[in-house]
Amino acid sequence: MSESIQTALRTRARELLELGEVSCVIGYERSPRGRVRPAFIYEPADADRLVWDNTCHHNLMVYLHDRKTPPRRGEEVPRVAVVAKPCDVRALNVLLHEGQIAREKVFVIGVACAGMCEEGTEELQARCRRCRERVPIFYDALVGEPPKVTAVDEDWADVVELEGMSAAERLAFWTREFDRCIRCYACRQACPGCYCFECMAEQVDPLWVGIAIELPEKAFFHVMRAYHLAGRCVECNACELACPMHIPLSLLNRKIAKEVEALFGYRAGGDPQTPPPLATFRKDEELPL
Amino acid sequence: MKLTSREQLAAWLDALMERATVIAPRQVECGGGSGTHLLLYQPVASSAEVVFDFQRTAMSPKGYFLPSTEVLFEIEKRSNEVTLDEALPQDEQVLFAIRPCDARGLRVLDALLVEHEPADAYYAQRRRNTTLVGLACPHLWPECFCTAIGGAPDDSADVDIMLYEVDGGYLVSEITEKGTALLAGLNAEETDQPAPVSDRSGPSVPVLAPEAWPALFNELYWARLSDRCLSCHACTYVCPTCRCFDVRDYTRAAGPNGIHIERLRSWDSCMAAAYRRIAGGHNPRPSKMHRLRNRYYCKFNYCPQDFGAVACVGCGRCIAVCPVGIDITEMLGEVAALAATLEERGKGKG
Ligand code: SF4
Ligand code: SF4
Ligand code: SF4
Ligand code: SF4
Ligand code: SF4
Repeated sequence: MSESIQTALRTRARELLELGEVSCVIGYERSPRGRVRPAFIYEPADADRLVWDNTCHHNLMVYLHDRKTPPRRGEEVPRVAVVAKPCDVRALNVLLHEGQIAREKVFVIGVACAGMCEEGTEELQARCRRCRERVPIFYDALVGEPPKVTAVDEDWADVVELEGMSAAERLAFWTREFDRCIRCYACRQACPGCYCFECMAEQVDPLWVGIAIELPEKAFFHVMRAYHLAGRCVECNACELACPMHIPLSLLNRKIAKEVEALFGYRAGGDPQTPPPLATFRKDEELPL
Repeated sequence: MKLTSREQLAAWLDALMERATVIAPRQVECGGGSGTHLLLYQPVASSAEVVFDFQRTAMSPKGYFLPSTEVLFEIEKRSNEVTLDEALPQDEQVLFAIRPCDARGLRVLDALLVEHEPADAYYAQRRRNTTLVGLACPHLWPECFCTAIGGAPDDSADVDIMLYEVDGGYLVSEITEKGTALLAGLNAEETDQPAPVSDRSGPSVPVLAPEAWPALFNELYWARLSDRCLSCHACTYVCPTCRCFDVRDYTRAAGPNGIHIERLRSWDSCMAAAYRRIAGGHNPRPSKMHRLRNRYYCKFNYCPQDFGAVACVGCGRCIAVCPVGIDITEMLGEVAALAATLEERGKGKG
């Protein structure tokens, strides 16, 4: 399956570049050390660098933010193609609703996805065992056949476990985790939803949080970031996978996703027609708060 | 040369802990019992916590010399009286099992922070207060390329004591007087056994001479290389020789009785978008191309020219940590090839 997807991706990328439909195809390639990483293909002849397998975990939508403005003033914003798994397309959907990306500037090469594996294993990532999509909610071209999925894990087991702890236990848990954080911002930078020109974690005026790389600042950053991703985090896990200190960021984001789903019946980016609840104002709305 | 067993070494460490802070490789559990762990240099309370067999720690030990956050001084103002308290670090530290590349990284930091005026008093003081116990690597680990930068897995040039693992324990080599002094109390026997020579085979990574870099500054290559960069701080924070910081003053208390201000220094990174933003909002390094290129030029062109030291020791950490597979050895290979191509083209024209 992976192999036929890979062949189809290469063919499609080559065509798009040859026809001048796009200036660049953003996909995956294998590094000389053998690991999969994001790839930027500008020439048809380079399309064969593209690969597809169960380690293509990066959420490439994050790179669309680099291409929102033209390279030089007065020029047109170049159109790009991007390889997108179902979770990635949900992230793109969030960005479209937020007016970040012009739909016509992105050619979405959607991939039917059987799931990504934990690094160095053949075991599916937990989020992929829970995934219900498998085929992107929209695309300009679809590659691959919808995979047969037999069992899907229960959605909130890990969050429920956390909720079961006492407040003191939870505080101890997160204190231990955040303590390791080095404030490298790899999580934020890997996240398609974190695109603020000036993140509140670095804003000087007003000053929300100082420069110290200490527990209070780190905890503040993580809690605020999780709030800023409320109803927007698509659970792509790009943040957690980028974190050099192995901090279980997804647990934090999923706790909030669970609340959002309970309150608004909304899954981030899950449907092209429904705008995100926190960007919606309804006069008649009553919430059980 | 002395020979000692691991048990004797552990007993010596335990005794050291009575009078100095001992920092050693330590296993840290992650993710609330999810089974993953990280190896970090951390202060240890007992030799039982020390990991003796390891490859490379996730972070370099530079934070014990240039902490990720430190108070430089405090200012108290009461009515008309102002006092300034400089918080120079006093603690004696022993850094146990530092790898040769990381020790060499400290030599690079010395060139920049001590041998160059104005010297960094805080860093210099920690350097003076710390004794380095090196542990030779038997060979290069994945991602390592110290030999390409003039280092070696058994290089003892930058430590006070060097340990080599051998059958039955460790060979202990006293390199400096500071090292000899620290070893008092170690149970060991004299031996004429020579130090084992580590396997130096590693990747061949061409490192372009400092003066060859400026000609490549405007190549499209840098934009293409940085396409995938996320502009995070990970590579710079794990690196033993990256040393950028930010300094800010924070008012901790202010009231009718006076005011208390702290001057804080924390790590910063040239890879961050805001790093070079100046008053008025102008940013001379506006894109990630400018920033990634700067990191490499800093290491291989600016630092060697301004301070006499290549600011990379080949520890490989930035390769291992990069979430998107940016690889400094790959860059060095491509840059060397690019330089060769440009030179060829230049000849053709001439
Ligand atoms: S917060 Fe993490 S999981 Fe959520 S969208 Fe951002 S990168 Fe993905
Ligand atoms: S954490 Fe919040 S402020 Fe910072 S980039 Fe993300 S959304 Fe923006
Ligand atoms: S990636 Fe990890 S270490 Fe870096 S800021 Fe995020 S949580 Fe902290
Ligand atoms: S640049 Fe990379 S390889 Fe060189 S010393 Fe720093 S982290 Fe190590
Ligand atoms: S090279 Fe890698 S680790 Fe460094 S800033 Fe870019 S993405 Fe982050």
